[in-house]
Amino acid sequence: MTTGTTTSAHPQSPGIATRTSSSKSIPGLARSLLAQREWGVAVLLALTVTAVAIVNPAFLQPANLRDVLVNNAPFAIIAAGVTFVIVTAEIDISVGSLAGLLSAVMGLLTSRDYAHLNVALACLIVLAIGTFVGAINGVLVAYCRVPSIIVTLGMLTALRGATELLMAGKWIQNLPDSLRFLGTGSIAGVPVSILTAAALIIASMILATRTPLGRRIYAVGSNVHAARLAGLSPRRIKLFVFTFTGFLVGVATLVGVTKFSTIDPAIGKNWELFVVTAVVVGGASISGGKGTIIGTVLGVLLLGIVGTVLTFLKLGDRLTYWERAIQGAFILLAVLADHLGGKREK
Amino acid sequence: MTDASDDTLAAPRRRFLENGFLFWHEFVLVALLAGLLIYAARVEPVFTRTKTQLNLSTHIWELAILALPMTLIIITSGIDLSVGSTMALCAVVLGMSFRAGTPIALACVFAAITGLGCGVLNGIFIACVRVHPLIVTLATLSAYRGLAEGISHGEAISRFPPAFTQISGNLAGLPIPGLLFALFALVTAIALGKTPTGRAIYAMGFNETACRFSGIATNKIKLILYTLAGLAASLTAILFAARRNTANAAVGDGMELDVITAVVLGGTSIFGGRGRVIGTILGVLLIHETREFVSWHWQNDVLIQVVVGVLLILSVLLNTLLTPRGRE
Amino acid sequence: MPRAVSRRTLLMTSDTFIQIRDIHKSYGGVHALSGVSMDIARGEVHALCGENGAGKSTLIKILSGSVTPDRGDVLVNGAAMRLGDVRASEAAGIAVIHQESVAFGHLSTFDNIYVGREPKKLGGLLLDRAAMRSQTRALLQRLGEADAFDPVRPVSELSVAQRQMVGMARALSQDCRLLVMDEPTASLSERETRVLFNLIRQFRKDGVAVLYVSHRLDEIFELSDRVTVFRDGKHVSTEPIAGMTKEKLIHCMVGRELLATDQETSFSRRVHPARPSDVPLLQLKNLTRAGVFQNVSFEVRAGEIVGMAGLVGAGRSEVARVIFGADPADAGQVFIAGEPLGGNSIDQAMRRGIAMVPEDRQHLGLVLPMSVGTNLTLPILRRLTRFGLTSSKRERQEVEKLIKALGVKAASPAVPAETLSGGNQQKLVIGKWLATRPRVLILDEPTRGVDVGAKAEVHKLIRQLAEEGMATLLISSDLPEVLAMSDRILVMRAGMISGEISREEATQEKVLSLAIPASSSPGAEVAA
Repeated sequence: MTTGTTTSAHPQSPGIATRTSSSKSIPGLARSLLAQREWGVAVLLALTVTAVAIVNPAFLQPANLRDVLVNNAPFAIIAAGVTFVIVTAEIDISVGSLAGLLSAVMGLLTSRDYAHLNVALACLIVLAIGTFVGAINGVLVAYCRVPSIIVTLGMLTALRGATELLMAGKWIQNLPDSLRFLGTGSIAGVPVSILTAAALIIASMILATRTPLGRRIYAVGSNVHAARLAGLSPRRIKLFVFTFTGFLVGVATLVGVTKFSTIDPAIGKNWELFVVTAVVVGGASISGGKGTIIGTVLGVLLLGIVGTVLTFLKLGDRLTYWERAIQGAFILLAVLADHLGGKREK
Repeated sequence: MTDASDDTLAAPRRRFLENGFLFWHEFVLVALLAGLLIYAARVEPVFTRTKTQLNLSTHIWELAILALPMTLIIITSGIDLSVGSTMALCAVVLGMSFRAGTPIALACVFAAITGLGCGVLNGIFIACVRVHPLIVTLATLSAYRGLAEGISHGEAISRFPPAFTQISGNLAGLPIPGLLFALFALVTAIALGKTPTGRAIYAMGFNETACRFSGIATNKIKLILYTLAGLAASLTAILFAARRNTANAAVGDGMELDVITAVVLGGTSIFGGRGRVIGTILGVLLIHETREFVSWHWQNDVLIQVVVGVLLILSVLLNTLLTPRGRE
Repeated sequence: MPRAVSRRTLLMTSDTFIQIRDIHKSYGGVHALSGVSMDIARGEVHALCGENGAGKSTLIKILSGSVTPDRGDVLVNGAAMRLGDVRASEAAGIAVIHQESVAFGHLSTFDNIYVGREPKKLGGLLLDRAAMRSQTRALLQRLGEADAFDPVRPVSELSVAQRQMVGMARALSQDCRLLVMDEPTASLSERETRVLFNLIRQFRKDGVAVLYVSHRLDEIFELSDRVTVFRDGKHVSTEPIAGMTKEKLIHCMVGRELLATDQETSFSRRVHPARPSDVPLLQLKNLTRAGVFQNVSFEVRAGEIVGMAGLVGAGRSEVARVIFGADPADAGQVFIAGEPLGGNSIDQAMRRGIAMVPEDRQHLGLVLPMSVGTNLTLPILRRLTRFGLTSSKRERQEVEKLIKALGVKAASPAVPAETLSGGNQQKLVIGKWLATRPRVLILDEPTRGVDVGAKAEVHKLIRQLAEEGMATLLISSDLPEVLAMSDRILVMRAGMISGEISREEATQEKVLSLAIPASSSPGAEVAA
């Protein structure tokens, strides 16, 4: 039994006593693997896929896997932003309502029944509004010192109302084909939405681990006080993460909502629950400082697959009513398992 | 701006134990409420009549009853997002067991047991397994509503007996749910303000570990609070089913947000440690009056959401701007 | 130390690095600093002393740029520094190693060293991780810690001492000219303190100025070249250490001679030990918590003060937590007055008359934002009720009684506990436990971060309680304190009791030889 990969080599290092080295008995490698929540989620994901594939091999057909990815691409994009927000020890539950509002705006601007604006211009407006709402969240949280759960709860309600006012209870139809291309089209055989999501995920990963800004986001979430002493501006960093999330919601709307031929006033409802849950299942700590983009992506895939698995298990139509119950139970189990694992680690 | 220490000198007896937590927020709420009602009396005289208000009040009680345990929970720096879903599950259990031939009184008991169970499950995860309440109740928010959908297959049950629907009626000219709420509010206020457990609830909101190290059974308190929230949700489910004469899996959809909004609007700090029952009552009232007025005056139910959302942010913003800044 | 003497003569003529000129700072009408001036020279260790609330931490915050003074200047090499700007302080070469919040616990050593001024590439877009890695290795090598720990691991997994090394590495990396250290040895063991001192001497040799803030007078005399004393936000004196004595220093800090009894408790043995009776009030039999401590057995009788010494991490606080019911035991038993404790909860321990003043008073001892009165009555509120409701009259009486008995200095019982000084906060923690009328009192580092005056008062109180029959277990890393206060001393090492020393034969050397692992002190006796 070794005690930790590096300290074990110096159980009694002459300089500074290593307090952590004395009392651990779980094998170091296993422990560090368990500590990486991403591995746990990945294993769970693999198990789920395997189990479903055994019951119904059709699940593994490329077309189906592609559908899973396409369906979850917008969630992954938003979740990347929310990961950063949660890493700074804040939260954003307005993303679903914002996506709803942006869908309405997008539809009203481009539909042949309404403004029928140039699609590129409309897309820019959608991104600008998303970024702007994110910035308002950020200003209220960082500069007006209103707790983020309050700000984004208020936004959740207000934006939902604004969406319904805009759409007046009607569905928007007749979206131009050039817009629909974002949701349905492919480039070199790969759907645009998957490409966009992949690009943004990679960008977010680089941001998180390879840039000064990224490390500062983690520093602020880990210890605001120390961050201030290190010369960082927690306010500006928090403003950034909320603004960035707003922008990503805009992108997710453009590639996610356009796969439908009509825009439903209820779009975006409960997205915030899905996204926040995925981020947390993916290993982010809501007390800040901890969380990775790859974990979040795995979390989104896991939750997304659990959602679609039921139809593939061929358990009958009546069972679709149980979808949310099973999803909820699954989350509880994941949280429980993770927690028990985490406890051992500590 | 009142400085805490000045205040101590001015009223040493009244503020023997706690200062710094003044009635600023309640003051702001009363002012807002008064402003709204004065304006309403001018533009819609019928709206402010007692009879109108009593009629409109049928909409308030479910929110108000749920807000009481939520206040306690948020003061301990916890949160319960699952109350709306618990309501749905209780309503469905009530409806399904009634349809299966159970006497309505027994069906109500089943609903109450369901609520109790939901609350206990939340409490066990939060207090014993020590998972963050936001995460636990986010998960049970899906799970409980999912169960409700699964059990009911999305169907609605109605045609409850008149004896049952009368629960939401009047007793001596006053609404029965209102009387229940008054009773609960009184008990909650006394428990919070005048008992050792109430003091512990505040202290837990600031520093749970220090409470545990002072011999306070923090886990037990948390378990009880989340269980109370579950029970309150079952009661509101019964009241809702009686009022609307229907029970389905969509009952209480989005209720958790309304409740939390009311509590926070009432001045309870989302970070824990601060809050009062009187504030929550004012918060509930303000939301209720705003909604009813907006829908009365503009005849537009959708606008309500925008107004309530903005109101929530504004009131907390106003509160942060008005209270003196803490030490740097 | 001949070298040190020559340094001191050199100092008289040596060049000044920082001049602090007439700094004023007040918080809401309370003057934290009123017109403070002092100089710090290159290559000197300058100690800064003063009771809690004397204004030391405010000065540190001003130097670090996190607080803007109301008035006054700081001159670096004769040029005025921009105040209230963390970046400006950094640019001037000022690095502060803070008492507690050294680090970003979730981040690696690399990130902790470089956050805020990361080496960049691609026009500042990306981190230069290769540079970070190689520079970190070089820095750790300079600190003699290159292979002691893994710089990729999150810093929260490192020991307190290692975290301090990370802070030092950060200071080194920014080419610091003034290193400010705030109570750096507060959580370090004796041995770790030695290593730190050698490093500080290394810094001094390299011409770095060190501002060293500590309550531990022995350290100040050992390490520093000059010492400055603050009192009530004012500068009292700056003198070469050679011209200073302990008594004079204390006089400067307190502004009065300590009472003879105070000094006696602080710096010498107890002259009249309480006569321990034969009843073992607290008895441990083979108490074990797997992986933390094993087979711990001892007893504490009524009226006895038993000291517990050992290195940080030896398991002392962990034993205390298990006795108090905060953690479960895996084997063994605790007896109170001969009967098994039974149950494992703090509530049960309290009912059986155990009280514990925990090591971390800010997080475990007090609810800081709540009032002094509320904190005092928190464990006993159930006793102060009438018909299940709290009686404010009885509560007020109890609070007033406790505040008077302990000499807590607070404007009113309604002020938040966080506004009190460290010493008064500690009195609150002790007071809230005395209110439970315990028979067994466990004190875990009761005077850490407490100033000299309050420390003497706490010592007096502990002695007084023992004379009244309290069984006291005193855990402390402050060796002179353990030696002065205890009737017997238990020493723990690596989760075991490594020996017991009677009051008569106890010396610092004996305690240390039992506390330090056998490998690094061959002469140490190995006791069961």
